Amino acid sequence: MYLDDVKRILADVLSLGDAANSLTEQSPLLGSIPELDSMAVVNLIGALEEHFGFAIDDDEISASTFETLGSLTAFVEQKMA
Amino acid sequence: MIPRAEPFFLDAGPGQRFCLFQAPAGACRGALVYVHPFGDEMNKARRMAALTARALAARGIGVLQVDLYGCGDSSGDFADARWEIWLADLEAARAWLAARLGVAPGLWGLRLGGLLALDFAQRCPHPVPDIVLWQPVQQGSAYLKQFLRLLSVNEMLAQPENEQSKAASNTGALRAALLGGQALEVAGYELAPELGAAIDALDGAKLAPRAARVHWFEMATAPDRPLPPATTRLAAAWREGGCDLRLQQIVGQQFWATQEISESAELAEATCAALEAAAPIEETA
Repeated sequence: MYLDDVKRILADVLSLGDAANSLTEQSPLLGSIPELDSMAVVNLIGALEEHFGFAIDDDEISASTFETLGSLTAFVEQKMA
Repeated sequence: MIPRAEPFFLDAGPGQRFCLFQAPAGACRGALVYVHPFGDEMNKARRMAALTARALAARGIGVLQVDLYGCGDSSGDFADARWEIWLADLEAARAWLAARLGVAPGLWGLRLGGLLALDFAQRCPHPVPDIVLWQPVQQGSAYLKQFLRLLSVNEMLAQPENEQSKAASNTGALRAALLGGQALEVAGYELAPELGAAIDALDGAKLAPRAARVHWFEMATAPDRPLPPATTRLAAAWREGGCDLRLQQIVGQQFWATQEISESAELAEATCAALEAAAPIEETA
């Protein structure tokens, strides 16, 4: 439901441009997209918070949250539920 | 011809504030105090602030850019900066600009500067004709948390799942330490507990602007992007409270956060157009 939103925010934060169009739920993120360093993770979390208007706690997040576009989207869906 | 920006030091307690005054070309039709954002965003945004100030001056709107206490070339260390001192700095800047140009100055704030401008406008006994907001921070607590997260992100990502963090560098624990009175150094900035607490308490919903007109600009990377829901919500609440809000989305990069210094000519142009329309020359001539 939020896949396109999350993909768009990811593309914006990382300045991925058209490269983001080919991303799917299965696309690996952390460790696979070179732009996604720890600073970018902080910016991405902030962008998600600002966009959706929710707050994220550190202990809600682990590396697995950022494993794939699908896992990140599932996290957003659970926050919005 | 647009004259060069005039640099000077403004006396303010404690010490002095570095200011850049961009005088309006021709007849003055308005004035703005620029309120800069926080930390690295301030440095990244300098170019856009200067470019836009020049463009505004060309349209007859004078701009005073002030480096707040503990920031830029002003007196004080960042560790000594306090929200109340920043509010007083804005009053000093507002009064200087009003005296110099003979018009009531508005405010123009970027990111946390937008929230500071809103807080100042609510307390200001003088009329504020216009407030320009460039992607303002809407919740101080969320902003503070994001800032502190720079310290805790590596630990967060290293954690195995199901093992909830009790580490001292958890953002929540850092926030508690800060609000409990411990200064923290984040990304080269020593943040005082008093300043952290003041930022933490700011809520855009409670700062519904009292200016005559509010021009809010948000950046989007493509023309088809919807406004963020949080923005839509806050805008609706302000309008319900009677605020004359003009909200616009501009296509471009978030220049205050890009790796390299970047700019948005569209944002500068839209800002000039909004203020030009708001302050027709006949009214102030």
